[in-house]
Amino acid sequence: MKIRTSEYMIRETFLSLKRNNWMTVASVGTVAVSLFIFGMFLILAMNMNKMVASLESQVQISVYLKDDLSKGDRKDIETDIRGMQGIATVKFVSRDEALQRFKERLGDQKFLLDALGDANPLPDAFEVTVTHPDMVRTAAEAIGNFKGVESAKYGQDVIQHLFDITRLIRIMGFTLMALLAGATLFIISNTIRLTVFARRKEIAIMKYVGATDWFIRWPFLLEGMVLGFLGGVIAVVLLNSVYSAIVVKVYSTLAFFPLIQEYPFLIYVTLLILVSGMCIGALGSTISLKRFLRV
Amino acid sequence: MIHMKDVSKIYENGAVALDHVNIDIDKGEFVFIVGASGAGKSTFIKLLLREALPTEGSLTVNGRNVVAMERQEVPYLRRGLGVIFQDYRLLPEKTVFENIAFAMQVIEAPRRMMQRSVNSVLDIVGLREKYKCFPSQLSGGEQQRVAIARAIVNRPAIVIADEPTGNLDPETSWDIMDIFTRINSAGTTIVMATHDKTIVDTMQKRVIAIEDGRIVRDEQRGGYGYED
Ligand SMILES: Nc1ncnc2c1ncn2[C@@H]1O[C@H](COP(=O)(O)OP(=O)(O)O)[C@@H](O)[C@H]1O
Ligand SMILES: [Mg+2]
Repeated sequence: MKIRTSEYMIRETFLSLKRNNWMTVASVGTVAVSLFIFGMFLILAMNMNKMVASLESQVQISVYLKDDLSKGDRKDIETDIRGMQGIATVKFVSRDEALQRFKERLGDQKFLLDALGDANPLPDAFEVTVTHPDMVRTAAEAIGNFKGVESAKYGQDVIQHLFDITRLIRIMGFTLMALLAGATLFIISNTIRLTVFARRKEIAIMKYVGATDWFIRWPFLLEGMVLGFLGGVIAVVLLNSVYSAIVVKVYSTLAFFPLIQEYPFLIYVTLLILVSGMCIGALGSTISLKRFLRV
Repeated sequence: MIHMKDVSKIYENGAVALDHVNIDIDKGEFVFIVGASGAGKSTFIKLLLREALPTEGSLTVNGRNVVAMERQEVPYLRRGLGVIFQDYRLLPEKTVFENIAFAMQVIEAPRRMMQRSVNSVLDIVGLREKYKCFPSQLSGGEQQRVAIARAIVNRPAIVIADEPTGNLDPETSWDIMDIFTRINSAGTTIVMATHDKTIVDTMQKRVIAIEDGRIVRDEQRGGYGYED
């Protein structure tokens, strides 16, 4: 495109944003809210993913041994486990040690164990960790079948719950996104329709003197993209400050909580939001041009 | 310049606006299309501009096949045609100069030519002094002269006018006809639809008369032909 033409396009675009000022504010606001919510869901979902992954990698398999195993049998089982693929560590926890830990964990409620007297209901066990989280399940199942092993358990329930929650968030996110995208497209295409309407005489003359379709379309497309971009900027500013605040808060209270680091994560989110804003703006004006600008 | 062969135009509602029309117009001609209201004059003009497509028949304008033309080619067809309407169609928020320059701007004409071209057409229509005025500050005749200036600023081969004097008093109409005569003697083809009997009778140019979509007369030096 020629330079003077770009000048013309940009001037027309901003004139029309000014002329439609209330619709402009409404559109930018809608885009901002939609993209902000989109961004929040994105950030939430990605953090949940990270949390599931990090929990899985920390998950250890508790291998409970049958009673009355000889030291030799125990050694054999340990060797077998160590011989498996993808095993990181194997640690023996004797039943006395296990009881001791259990008591510590109960703390004030230690008296609950008084009923047991001197009996120790806990078995000997190995604590096994794996190198890759996706191996937990297969390793646990394999070890569970070893001779002399009573059962091999890991935190299936917790992980399954997290998976379920993540999936729920994703589904909710997608549904909400679809609704918001619909609303955003609607309001942007309406804003552009107003512009088309305000400029209909000009457009008719442009057609008569031989302006190309694209020359006529560009200012409207640009207007839509600017609306989307401005909305995106607001959303991005909000998202960045909200996430930074959350990160600070979480690190000061729950230091172990595996949040995604702010950078470069937020930069990617920012780029994604801005590009989405511009795309949705361009799409909104395309819809409007298809319907109202028969060039 | 314009070759129309066996062209009919039937609108979607069934109205037959043109009925097997044959017209050939050569370069440099000055042609009146006359006929009562509803005869089909505006439809004829719409076909030339490809605002509407013929239902049947073939049409060539400026060497371009209007019927088979791709959508993207339409702007280039129109760049060769200067069009003028009864209601001027100026942009009220632009000055005289800007209204005319607009026609150059939207076809991406070189900017350095703009000043000179606009001034030269302002001279032709005699509005050099009023270049800063807005349309609302001009009389009807002056507004129509601005519209003519805009139509010719890109040097079209054919000027097409649909009842350009329809809103003007007789004296002002003659100013407009003077300008058309001058443009025509510089070699531009003029096609003007009108039902102004006095103008047609006085000018003694080629007259094509349409009645109910059919050509009923085509004379080299004609008059309007009958009383309204
Ligand atoms: N867009 C249209 N849709 C349907 N009928 C039309 C349309 N335009 C014109 N007509 C009909 O076609 C006929 C010719 O109209 P027109 O070309 O405007 O005549 P003129 O310009 O000579 O007054 C008239 O009967 C008119 O009602
Ligand atoms: Mg008419």
